[in-house]
Amino acid sequence: MRVNSTDEAHEPKGSGLRYDAVDISKKFSGVEVLKSVSVQFHAGEIHTLVGENGAGKSTLLKVMAGVYSPDGGSLSLGGVPQRGLTPREAQSRGIYLVPQEPRLMPDLSVAENLYVGALPKGRLLVNVDWRKVYASADAVFSRVGLKVNPRMAAGRLSIAQQQLVECARALAHDCRVIFFDEPTSPLTAHDSERLFELMNDLREQDLALGFISHRLDEVDEVSDRITVLRDGGVVAEAERGELTRQELVGAMVGRSLAVTQRAQHAETPGEVALDVQALSCPPEVNGFTLQVRSGEIVGLAGLVGSGRTEFAEAVFGLRSPTAGRVKLGERDITARSPRGCIDAGLVYLAEDRGRNGVFADVDIARNVTAATIGRLPKWIGTFLRPRQEQLVAQQAAQQMDVRAASMELPIKALSGGNQQRALLARWVAAAPKVAIFDEPTRGVDVGAKEGIYEIIESLTRNGLAALVISSELEELVRLCDRVYAVYEGRVVGEVTGDDITLENLGHLAVGAQ
Amino acid sequence: MTNIALPRRFRLPTWGLTLGVALIAELVYFSLTTRQFAGHGNGILILTEQFVPIGILALGAGVVILTGNIDLSAGATASLSAIVVGTELKHGTGMGLAIVIALATGVGFGLFNGLVVSLLGIDSLLVTLATQFIATSLATSIGGESPPYGFSDIFQRLGTGLVGPIPSALVLFLVLAILTALLVTRTGFGRALTMIGYSRSASDYAGIRTYRTLVLSFGLSGLFSGIAGLVLAAYYNSARDDIGTTLLLPAITCVVLGGVDIFGGKGRMAEVIVAVFFLGFLSQGLLISGRSSLTVTMITGILLIIALVVKLTLERRTGESMGSALRRLLSQRGFRRPMRQR
Amino acid sequence: MSTQTTEARLRQPAEPTVYRRSWSAVFLRRELLLLAVMVVIVLASVAHHSYFWTSRNISFILADSMVITFLALGETFVLLSRGVDLSIAPIMGLSAVIVGFRAQDHGMTLLPAVLLGAVVGLVLGLGNAVLVAVLRLPPIIATLGTLSVYGGLQFVVTGGDQVDHVPTQYTDLGSETIVWGIPTILLIGVAAVIVTALVLRHTRFGRAVYATGNDLEAAYRSGIRTNQVIFACYVICGLFAGLAGVVYLMRTGSAVATTGTDNNSNLNAIAAALIGGTALTGGRGSAIGAIAGSVFLSLTLTAMVFAGIPAIWQPAGVGAAILIAVLADGKARRQNNTFRLGRLRLRRSS
Repeated sequence: MRVNSTDEAHEPKGSGLRYDAVDISKKFSGVEVLKSVSVQFHAGEIHTLVGENGAGKSTLLKVMAGVYSPDGGSLSLGGVPQRGLTPREAQSRGIYLVPQEPRLMPDLSVAENLYVGALPKGRLLVNVDWRKVYASADAVFSRVGLKVNPRMAAGRLSIAQQQLVECARALAHDCRVIFFDEPTSPLTAHDSERLFELMNDLREQDLALGFISHRLDEVDEVSDRITVLRDGGVVAEAERGELTRQELVGAMVGRSLAVTQRAQHAETPGEVALDVQALSCPPEVNGFTLQVRSGEIVGLAGLVGSGRTEFAEAVFGLRSPTAGRVKLGERDITARSPRGCIDAGLVYLAEDRGRNGVFADVDIARNVTAATIGRLPKWIGTFLRPRQEQLVAQQAAQQMDVRAASMELPIKALSGGNQQRALLARWVAAAPKVAIFDEPTRGVDVGAKEGIYEIIESLTRNGLAALVISSELEELVRLCDRVYAVYEGRVVGEVTGDDITLENLGHLAVGAQ
Repeated sequence: MTNIALPRRFRLPTWGLTLGVALIAELVYFSLTTRQFAGHGNGILILTEQFVPIGILALGAGVVILTGNIDLSAGATASLSAIVVGTELKHGTGMGLAIVIALATGVGFGLFNGLVVSLLGIDSLLVTLATQFIATSLATSIGGESPPYGFSDIFQRLGTGLVGPIPSALVLFLVLAILTALLVTRTGFGRALTMIGYSRSASDYAGIRTYRTLVLSFGLSGLFSGIAGLVLAAYYNSARDDIGTTLLLPAITCVVLGGVDIFGGKGRMAEVIVAVFFLGFLSQGLLISGRSSLTVTMITGILLIIALVVKLTLERRTGESMGSALRRLLSQRGFRRPMRQR
Repeated sequence: MSTQTTEARLRQPAEPTVYRRSWSAVFLRRELLLLAVMVVIVLASVAHHSYFWTSRNISFILADSMVITFLALGETFVLLSRGVDLSIAPIMGLSAVIVGFRAQDHGMTLLPAVLLGAVVGLVLGLGNAVLVAVLRLPPIIATLGTLSVYGGLQFVVTGGDQVDHVPTQYTDLGSETIVWGIPTILLIGVAAVIVTALVLRHTRFGRAVYATGNDLEAAYRSGIRTNQVIFACYVICGLFAGLAGVVYLMRTGSAVATTGTDNNSNLNAIAAALIGGTALTGGRGSAIGAIAGSVFLSLTLTAMVFAGIPAIWQPAGVGAAILIAVLADGKARRQNNTFRLGRLRLRRSS
């Protein structure tokens, strides 16, 4: 492992095109996100940036793709300095950033989505040469292995197809440098595989590829070169195979951490707390049956799109189920509203924290009490008492170990992990009997994940029945007493105790028995 | 366990304070330059009768805008309510009953808007645009050829009467304003309103009853429109079918000038109330000093734009709230205009 | 339908795939649906009153819708870019008044009149554009402000006078017909629609407008200068409103201080665009929709008169038409917000 190595040792292969960032620094409202970071991307190489959330990986790539302008430092592409780069100029110079979530324009055709910033001119010089657009889109799609009608509206594609269209867009503009900002986080394992194949192809075609991922096994799989960022600075740089996973994680968090450890759950679970019988909510949920006992952590393993989240939303009353029963203890709560579910003792920590979890602009206190407004201390049973409310919220937040300077900060000022803890505080304040945690550690630093696991464990020790939905199988292995495998909207298998292994889960989650 | 600080107990809203200072400045200015403005002592108070209906509409519009929606039908609903109460009074219905019927019409219209917006999930701008037309037609058809005029003295007192030295309309407005401010800041319903304004979907997931809250907020707007219609009919001693329509834009102007975010969530009713007085006195002062009503409209429009530009640019430039930006400006420390990018 | 065909094609990857446009989508377009509804209305009215189907009446309906058509064309640009312009009525009024006075008092001929109207519209549209695209005010508030300002300016310009006798060459163009009773003014309107449709469908600028309205951030990332596009949309909207003022002069031969604002032109234009299938959420809509919506409004209102419904119910008719149009547009509903959590949803700009 070479720490802070210089680039002279590296021998460029292929065309030798390189994209350098030298001493890049960037501030956001006073906070230094990048502190003079230098990296090089070489043609014919996949260069992976890893680091915890907030380490500055995304910001770095966005600076290099012209989305943000750097406060200091310089960029140079093949020795030519790049100043005042905008996305438009970056694209015209062959640099493209594939975003984390595909952002296509849903009402435009797929082909148009590829070319819209630079549509080819027709013979009249003002018109668009549609024939050329469709023909070249077809050609590019076959390069990335995507088979769709280029005239189709982009909004009708699946999320994986959309991600491929994003990649196709880079190729359509003859980009030589392509950055992928966590491209796999919305994708299923299968689709991720396909994306990696594409990336390998592109490497063979002598493109320079930059890649960000949170999933360390992916990093091992694809990268030729790894740069580890921490707190806005480069802490380690290595070629393929030079770092073990332990070392990698150690460099990311600044200390060494055990990666996967099966926790011991000694106590015997209690009564059945959540009993779901043949719940259906077509098309995603088709006859879902499961049971969770109090004091037990049950996992739901399955691919993205297997109906896990939709199932949880149907239980929580956000979707109307067409058939089936949901019982909470002895009470039937089928098709209750979210409010009814919360009052009955069921809470749901939503998957998409930014959209469905936090109120980004609202202070921490009101975020914590949002689900329990009705139970706050009131004056003559009607009027809220802000001071009392803040005390309640403060207590709840401190119990969940939220790190924040003040309760009046908008919650968006907190890190991902702290936001998630604040949301946990919100739901714990509702005194639930059953809690559904949907991707509880998504967008949470590696180092902060353990803290959230511990919170879930301590809650179940006090009698909570927990249902954990996760795409990270390691998380389920780490946390669960029992795991249901979900495939196409129904439970297809169940593993308990020591049978919960990565292999078993991986096998079940793709629908194999 | 770490300690998270609680906010300081009291904090004056900077925008409201700015508006308040501007209000006082303008009162002083007009009193000094225009003799009729202050009149004989209570002249300033009498002037409020002119813009109280706008203020009442602004309260309802504010509630709806806080949820991230907009109610364009408020003005037309006020006209409808004025026509209804006028017609009922002319038909010999008792005053109490006539008022109840008019208010019920307003609330009914509001609830209809709310139901369509929340249940069918259509943008409120579209829905209220459509119902505005419908309310106008209803008002015209109920009013008929000769709109009602000449009401009893007791009814007229609603618009022009005095409680001691204070116009009864002003008293009504202040009571409503205080109630609305309390409702928004200090009740669960008000909290739900603002949370929906910040994020509809996060509210759904947090178990806030979004449908009920939305419908009720539109109902509330309808109620305020109804009340504004009553005051209008009483003040003018007649009811025309366009009596309230022209008040919609000034009312929305008040709400926006009062610092309510048009996308919902952010905003304080107290500041809206200050904005109502600020704008009201400004237009009355200008009118009394001999400007035409159209000049007043123009100045209102320009003011709205300037106020927003100042507020938004200050917020955007520095990425901090208006309050802290102003505080920093005033303290004259470290405020430098950031370099424009590129 | 088309999804099935795509899937069917997907299953046979060996042969080179040839994709065609899906005709079902073409036939289900809003414009054609509107046309069908209009045919029904015409048939019903003719059954009721045979006078309805005379070239005189039909050409009146068409000619009458042209002012709103021009306004709606401009509004379409703004709506497509995911904004809204509430100030087009006073822009139209100002243009009508300024051009009208020049024509009435100085005998200005038609060509310079059109140019003057266009310039007036451009300048006023520029004001909106600066507020929205440069100063980044929310469009609804910015144009609410300019609505007051321009409305006031209109009064200042008239100074109490009114335009009531413009040279006959204006009104001739507004009322005379050429062969088969086609009103001349309709041809002008149709020409404007065709040009706009071509610009929107087949130029890079037009596509940039759609992209910007669809998803501002994605459009910016794909290299579109979104701010310039939005700026241009408001300027074009002003331009069309200015032209609408001249068209108004041609139709009525008069203009007063409240022209435009007094008869709800703002809302009628937005209504026409919405009825024509343009979405308030940006990125969907067309120039053809604008004229279809305007003609539909004009036709419906005339049919209401023929059906013996008093004129006071006309606003209610417009309102009902808006509601029905929006209800018929499945995508305009918010339902997928909570109950169908589609990943791709339009995000709020700014």
